[in-house]
Amino acid sequence: MYKTVDWSSRTATCHVSSRRCGILDYVRRWYGILDYVRTTLAPTVPRLPRDFLFKFLVIGSAGTGKSCILHQFIENKFKQDSNHTIGVEFGSKVVNVGGKSVKLQIWDTAGQERFRSVTRSYYRGAAGALLVYDITSRETYNALTNWLTDARTLASPNIVIILVGNKSDLETEREVTFLEASRFAQENELMFLETSALTGENVEETFLKCARQILTKIELGELDPERMGSGIQYGDTSMRRIQKDTSAIRKPDCAC
Amino acid sequence: MTDLESSKQSGVLLQQDSFSSPVEEDINHDLFTGAPAVTKYKPTVASNPHEDQEILEGIEDIYYNTEGYDTSHYELQKLPEELELEKIDRDRTRLRKQLQVVSKKVSDLVLQNHPAYATELQRVMELQKSLQLASVICANGRRQLSTARDTFTSASLNMLANYRKRQQLVGLLKSLRTIKTLQRTDVRLREMMEEEDYCSAIQLCQECQKIAVTYRHFNCISELSTKLQDTLVMIEEQLDVALSKACGTFNMVHYEKVQRAYRLLGKTQTAMDQLLMHFSSAIHNTAFQIVLGYVALCSGTGRENFHKLQYTELCKNLTQESFTPCLIDLCKALWEVMRSYRKTIRWHESQPKKTSEESTHSDVEVDQDYIHQKLEHGLTRIWQDVQSKVKVYVLGTDLSSFKLEEFIRVLDLINRMIVIGEEFCGSKSEGLQDSLKQQSLNYFKNHHRYRMDELRMFLENEGWELCPVKSSFTYQHLMEFKFMKHWTRAEGKDAMGVNSNHVQKVQVASEKGEELRYFQEKTEDHNPFDTQYIDDDKEDFFAGSWEEDDNDSDSDSDVPEELKQDYIDELTGEAKSNRNLKRRISRQRNQKNIPIVTNTTLNVLRVLGKYMQMMTVLKPIAFDVILCMSQLFDYYLYTVYTFFGADMYVIHERTINTRLQMTLQRIRSNLIVESPVPGAPPINPEDEREKIPPPHVSPIVDIHSTDRLFGLAERVVAAESLVFLAKQFSLLHPHLESMIPSSKKAFLQQFYTQTVEMACELRKPVYWTVSARAVDYDVILSHMNNVRWDVKEIMSLHNPYVDVLVKNLEFFNQRLLDVGRRVPLTKSVSDLVWEHCVRLINRVFVEGFSGAKKCSNEGRALMQLDFQQFLMKLDTIVNIRPIPEKDLVEGYIKAYYLPENQLDSWIQEHKEYSNKQLLALINSVDHINKKARQRLVTIIEESDRNRR
Repeated sequence: MYKTVDWSSRTATCHVSSRRCGILDYVRRWYGILDYVRTTLAPTVPRLPRDFLFKFLVIGSAGTGKSCILHQFIENKFKQDSNHTIGVEFGSKVVNVGGKSVKLQIWDTAGQERFRSVTRSYYRGAAGALLVYDITSRETYNALTNWLTDARTLASPNIVIILVGNKSDLETEREVTFLEASRFAQENELMFLETSALTGENVEETFLKCARQILTKIELGELDPERMGSGIQYGDTSMRRIQKDTSAIRKPDCAC
Repeated sequence: MTDLESSKQSGVLLQQDSFSSPVEEDINHDLFTGAPAVTKYKPTVASNPHEDQEILEGIEDIYYNTEGYDTSHYELQKLPEELELEKIDRDRTRLRKQLQVVSKKVSDLVLQNHPAYATELQRVMELQKSLQLASVICANGRRQLSTARDTFTSASLNMLANYRKRQQLVGLLKSLRTIKTLQRTDVRLREMMEEEDYCSAIQLCQECQKIAVTYRHFNCISELSTKLQDTLVMIEEQLDVALSKACGTFNMVHYEKVQRAYRLLGKTQTAMDQLLMHFSSAIHNTAFQIVLGYVALCSGTGRENFHKLQYTELCKNLTQESFTPCLIDLCKALWEVMRSYRKTIRWHESQPKKTSEESTHSDVEVDQDYIHQKLEHGLTRIWQDVQSKVKVYVLGTDLSSFKLEEFIRVLDLINRMIVIGEEFCGSKSEGLQDSLKQQSLNYFKNHHRYRMDELRMFLENEGWELCPVKSSFTYQHLMEFKFMKHWTRAEGKDAMGVNSNHVQKVQVASEKGEELRYFQEKTEDHNPFDTQYIDDDKEDFFAGSWEEDDNDSDSDSDVPEELKQDYIDELTGEAKSNRNLKRRISRQRNQKNIPIVTNTTLNVLRVLGKYMQMMTVLKPIAFDVILCMSQLFDYYLYTVYTFFGADMYVIHERTINTRLQMTLQRIRSNLIVESPVPGAPPINPEDEREKIPPPHVSPIVDIHSTDRLFGLAERVVAAESLVFLAKQFSLLHPHLESMIPSSKKAFLQQFYTQTVEMACELRKPVYWTVSARAVDYDVILSHMNNVRWDVKEIMSLHNPYVDVLVKNLEFFNQRLLDVGRRVPLTKSVSDLVWEHCVRLINRVFVEGFSGAKKCSNEGRALMQLDFQQFLMKLDTIVNIRPIPEKDLVEGYIKAYYLPENQLDSWIQEHKEYSNKQLLALINSVDHINKKARQRLVTIIEESDRNRR
């Protein structure tokens, strides 16, 4: 249903612009569409029209590796020279969840206490959150309750949260057992995964799992994307779509 | 022939001999025993001679006829018809007698001549005998002669003839052997060719040709010499191939061979021309093959025939993933070709000036000069070829969706190519620079587009909360700028000097020290596109420059000092009392200086840092990058304005800087997408591509609540963070300036004066909104309108509205202090707010006073009193010197006392009052007559018309 609408809008754009650019461009534009068809048939292509946009948060105490998880997720690399995050940083990635392409808009917050007031303003309207602790530091685990409360009160009570025990590669220094953490997760209705930003283990899975859960909730009607501040948008706004499409179609033009 | 005849004759002679001998003996016998035969007849015939004579004579004549006459027939014819016996008998007797006579006569004659006959016969016999002898001798002689002839003469003659023949044949054999060798040489030549011993091959071939010329009288030689000619041609072809090999990988030994060979051929010049052509085609083929390889590899399907494509088209078929590896390969291969060329030049240079004594000096020199020139020219040509190949390749793919690191890798490769080109032939590589610029621009524009979208998102999510950073925080503390550290650190504080120095240094380095960075003999074997990248791959692309900053970049670098202490306290629980006090003091003190930044500010700074990084590699588009940097600032400024300064309260404030208005107008038209008007023609997406939609303030920001002073805290953070950002821009100014050509500096200057400096100006509209809503001026005004000014006595007490006003102000001050606890309010901020507040109050005063329909002298004094009371109270709340627009109020009050003539000029001088206010003043003045009043009113109305 959604795709058909998208299609018609695509062709319409073409006709409008072809009138302006003459026959050659018209042909090129059709090539652009062919290109588009080809790319949509391919399984994962970043230039897919986005079905959804989810706002995500990464929260947790300082030094738990939030930025590294994000970096690993986006760049597929471990961030070596990582400093404490100042304020909030941002990353986005388009992922394919259950056949739908979802753009994740991820806000990576500073864990340090002094940034709490700054980071809080980003909680609002988050659809999902990664609540990160460090499995080698009980302190970060103990702080989880506070973070959780913050997230539930400031973001939205419906926010989908996944508990993430990071640094799973440091097994020898472990202070928090998997069992303990998964019990905590169960009690608080959280999903749970242990990750390693260093090795990349479970990192992508974490985001996907969270996104999948949100999609499920949307399908079940528990989440309403139309509601303001849900942290979910249907694709882009119409304005941006037109721009995006023209730029996508214009691609062959540029290459010439 | 004579021999033959003689032999025949001898044969005849021999026969005669054999026949005659027995005859001779027979004769001899008969002759000597012949006598008895005659005597037989004698006894029977006895005749008379005489008679005989007569008978004899009686013989008819017919019988003497010797001519075969048949005598019998004659006698028979004589016979008569009638035969008569007697007669016949007589005749027969007569004939008998006659016969007898004749026989007798004959016998007599024979007897008579016989001795003569016998002697004669004897002689004949003797003759015969000697003849026979002679014949034998003769035959023997002949026989012997012929033997002699056979055995001697012909043999020796033959021998001589044979000898001569032999000699000739020996000569022929020699020639044939040589020819055979010549023919064999061909094989040898081929062998030599395989051994790449061109020189010997040519020498051999030429020798052979010479020899062939000497033997040209042989039929087969012409064929052979054409063959030799062919071989020579073939050698040349082989040489050509060998020469072309030198383009790919230069091998000194190999090349020397080839060159020597060409010299032998006397074709050094041709060789050079050929060489250049080979280099050209080597470049083309290498490039084509490499790209083709990748294209074929990537397409996988093989359904298209890429071979038939033009290079330009081929380049467009490359996928983005394979772009970089292919580029590396391409560069490597082309570098190899260039290196070969370099080596070729070096080889020629290293050749001693006088190579061969055989040829004349001038010849060699001319040759060498020619070669030198040719090679020098070739440098540029080859670089042009290489350049165009790389350019076409680079422009063939759209790189805009590359990751920054990868794109920078590409740029680095191209830059390296440019440096190589510079080194290679001093070319500025316009083509490559151009492609670099084009791609960079395309990439950067795309990148920037995302960054702008991100900025919008940041702004729309921004809570305008203060983001705590240490008091000395500048852009330099951000990771993104660390690569610049050594720029400033190395050379003191004069940033301007620093950069020019830095630039100079770099230039000097590139001009002198690194001149032969790539084409040095030692380093040449190392492909510049080879190893360096393996390192780069793992680290960040600006790695290295961080290293030295370890001290600064530790985790707490951005933590304010006092917060650091906080942290320590929390950890150690050390004696707090003393510390806390100090801390509080320091916090108080620092609070005012702490840089006010928002998360978005930091993000903008980070992006700026990244842009700066990009600029260092994207030098050709540095200006465009700066343009984009300015857009970031523009958008931030515009956002702050639309969020906090665009309220209706101040939009018409005439004190707002018109330059700021212009700046805002410029930003809006350049950067902001017009909201689509329904029914309007569709917006041209081309124009709108560069633009972004206006931001919407985050719903968590409340700028309308009175309790929060209309979001003053947020306003402060917004405006001050903008000012902070502007300051950072100013700090960056020298760096930016050093990166763009001087021709573009005017723009930068303009940006700074028109936009960056406007940041401070923007404080006014942002804060004034607060001022404008701080006091309910309308209430005060309505209070004032209820005051009677036509009192007849001097009042000692001010009007109650002043108290209301002051209470309002005290309340406002309290809230300001509240806000000040949340965000640092600098003096300039509170002054701005207060000043405008006072200014507005003063206007209210004037407006209120002008509301007086009638006013007495005492009433005027009351006004003075009210105002003085206000000023006094104000002084207790806040310290502002001077009071803004104090004269506005005082002047208005005092104008009342002016005499008519002075009032005249006063009205004309003071345009700051509205018409209504002036008219009210004139009407309220009671010491002038009606006519004068009418005149003044006319003046005001006239000047009002003029004003319009």
